[in-house]
Amino acid sequence: MPGIHTTYFGELEYTEGTVFHFPYGLPGFEHERAFLFLKQPHTDPLLFLQSLGDPKLCFILVPILVVDENYKVNVDAEDLAALHLPPDRQPRIGEDILCAAIVSTAEGEAPTANLMAPIIVNLKEQIGLQAIQADSPYSHRHRITPRKELAPC
Amino acid sequence: MLVMKRRAGEIFTIGENIEIEVLEVSGLRVKLGIKAPDSVMIVRKEARITREENITAAQPVAPDALAALAQSFWHPAKTPP
Repeated sequence: MPGIHTTYFGELEYTEGTVFHFPYGLPGFEHERAFLFLKQPHTDPLLFLQSLGDPKLCFILVPILVVDENYKVNVDAEDLAALHLPPDRQPRIGEDILCAAIVSTAEGEAPTANLMAPIIVNLKEQIGLQAIQADSPYSHRHRITPRKELAPC
Repeated sequence: MLVMKRRAGEIFTIGENIEIEVLEVSGLRVKLGIKAPDSVMIVRKEARITREENITAAQPVAPDALAALAQSFWHPAKTPP
């Protein structure tokens, strides 16, 4: 079983069946194409997008509906095709796709989530990408404000 | 900011080596053709912003900060009196 030494999880073993493929990588990390989605009980609801190519690279995500329960996903035709999703409708969060925002915690600043460019994952086929929306009504630095109930991702 | 009006088919240049042609205007969208040296990176602004955000987000977070971040979703902020 392959293993890597990670920042947040120490030594980590995984099976090929748990790997998610990002055909374009992520902006700034275009060469990273293989990731694991991980969780820790004590950091719920956060998700960890752990790179396999660079074990030191791990993004912290939050399910988008946890940040904004009314979030409207808007994936363009090109990204729908890359994700192997039906071209004629927007995917449903929690059914067709996982939709989560990358959290940024720059030192000395309040944590923010990038709602403008969410991570979208086809759960069945384990393909993911960061969907950048040209005319998004959402901020790339959405201030995370606490809320009571948790929504599904 | 320099502002100029161009019609479809017209071109403007930036410096010696960059040419931008307005290929098509339809409704709210403008299709541009860009000729530039390979060394000039051309990206949509939202992609550039996302790239910068990702680079910041890739910095490791200390365990206590991580726990505090997670906790913020469970414990609503107290409303001021």
